[in-house]
Amino acid sequence: MTLLRCLPYVRKQMTRHRVRSLLTIAGVAIAMFLFTSVQAMNRGVAQATRTTAEDTTLVVYRADRFCPATSELPQDYLRRIEQVDGVAAAIPMMVVVTNCRTSLDVVTFRGVPKDGFISARLSEIEVVAGSTEDWQRRTDAALVGETLAERRGLRPGMTFDAAGITAYVAGVFRSDDPQDQNVAYTALPFVQMAGRDRLGIVTQFNVKVTDPAMLDPVANRIDELFVHASEPTATFSEKAFIGRLADDIIELVGFARWLGLGCLVAVLALVANSIVLGVQSRVVEHAVLQTLGYSGWLVAALIVVEGTLLALVGGVVGAGVALAVAHFGSFALSVEGTTIPIAADAKLLATGLLICGAIGVVAGLVPALQASRRQIAACFRSA
Amino acid sequence: MAMIECRELTREYHKADQVIRPLDGLNLDVPRGDFLALMGPSGSGKTTLLNLIAGIDSPTRGSLTVEGSDLAQMSRNGLAAWRSTHVGYVFQLYNLVPVLTAYENVELPMLLQKISRRQRHERVSLALERAGIADRADHYPRQLSGGQEQRVAIARAIVTDPPILVADEPTGDLDKASAHTAMTLLQQLNQDLGKTIIMVTHDPQTTEYAKHTLHLDKGQLVEAGVEREEVPA
Repeated sequence: MTLLRCLPYVRKQMTRHRVRSLLTIAGVAIAMFLFTSVQAMNRGVAQATRTTAEDTTLVVYRADRFCPATSELPQDYLRRIEQVDGVAAAIPMMVVVTNCRTSLDVVTFRGVPKDGFISARLSEIEVVAGSTEDWQRRTDAALVGETLAERRGLRPGMTFDAAGITAYVAGVFRSDDPQDQNVAYTALPFVQMAGRDRLGIVTQFNVKVTDPAMLDPVANRIDELFVHASEPTATFSEKAFIGRLADDIIELVGFARWLGLGCLVAVLALVANSIVLGVQSRVVEHAVLQTLGYSGWLVAALIVVEGTLLALVGGVVGAGVALAVAHFGSFALSVEGTTIPIAADAKLLATGLLICGAIGVVAGLVPALQASRRQIAACFRSA
Repeated sequence: MAMIECRELTREYHKADQVIRPLDGLNLDVPRGDFLALMGPSGSGKTTLLNLIAGIDSPTRGSLTVEGSDLAQMSRNGLAAWRSTHVGYVFQLYNLVPVLTAYENVELPMLLQKISRRQRHERVSLALERAGIADRADHYPRQLSGGQEQRVAIARAIVTDPPILVADEPTGDLDKASAHTAMTLLQQLNQDLGKTIIMVTHDPQTTEYAKHTLHLDKGQLVEAGVEREEVPA
């Protein structure tokens, strides 16, 4: 209770030492912006590649090929794949990307059979603008993922050019699957015919199995089926497939974790430095407080609270800006037509603030204990 | 019975191999309601004695009893709680918190008291009025003259209504007029409210406001003080 009554004193110390507080908060905010951004990428990688017990999707790709531009499979593999035990549905897909390199702004077209797609995927996506009727009616129509639509400013009725394809936006959809959010679904023949005639050729098959436990057996059966064909296949679970294609990104993001840790160390150093300097310049002031009857513990608590508040304010600003940038920028890391989302949400903000709070406490602890243990009379003598 | 009793009071410091003994077996009784001036050369132990009586330093040997409480036996936290209700300290350089207004400085000791915000406001306002500085309540220390700062410091010392006030050269940094104002205020607190005041000073004129003056040298009392019946107005 006494500490609560003294909180205005802490607030005044922060607001009336404005330059020191602002510099500390700015430093913490920058470090937390970087930390939150790195964590958002880490979470995106985890979301995109971590296998769960509910995964039922396989991707059938051309063996020994590593990008959509070179993976070519005959579309008539579909009939044989659908006959494999454990296969619930299969969608042939032609993937065209604006570039195969790692980028924050890749447009990925996925050509799919319209009827098959609607029946297989409509329950998993929510059309938030436009309509599927319009998409089915027009040959050049695209259903655009919400992230891609926000990033490119696409709305139903507009046309857009990317990767040599001019498509009409029939609708914008929302999906929990990060691989959907950043793509434009169009009619398979439309994509096959765009640029050059590749009718009958697809990039991959997306296969749904009847039971998650069937993923590996079905993958093996499909690959055995085409092992002696002129175009052999390599079949993976969707998460493993993404992990394989986005290997470079994952490695980079893994390395970026160290950058995130470095940011936390920077926050600790900044807050600790600010608190130490503040405590050193207020030796007499703390001695006065103790002379007035403040216990050493109360003085220590006031110092720790000040450090924690500085860290928290900086954390709110830094993590908040990171979240806003991720949200309004609608960024996603793309490579070879796969998407690694930048997964920034309120949970990440809460985690960042929790870490900031803990760092604030740790940073203030040592100077606070030193201040609380000083001999009061000695502080006045040395002033 | 004396309000403050010092028996064989000794304080030692260690500096490198040297033992410094600013107080050396001092015996002193201060009755309730006294206004005592302590004089003596630098290093004679005046401030050390003041700090011991205020409970912000602990004796190396001997006993120091204030209102029946043996300060030498109290824990650090116990002493802090005792200080908050029993003693107000007036410093030579005022030691106001620069980022707080006069009102907020005076309010600081009251934040330790479990009383309502309204009661706290009444007590702070009363202390500021008593110190004659209520009209500067919203001013920061840098906006006040030395004399005004010292009056705020006195208001801070009396806001919890402690029975004892200690003042370490309260006029040491003031001009003559401000010194007179501050000393008159302390005198009123002693006479009107019965505060026991112990004051360290180098200024013989200031001692004229006190009821008694004691001289210290090398950590011991060197002569009995002068007792005054009449004090200057």
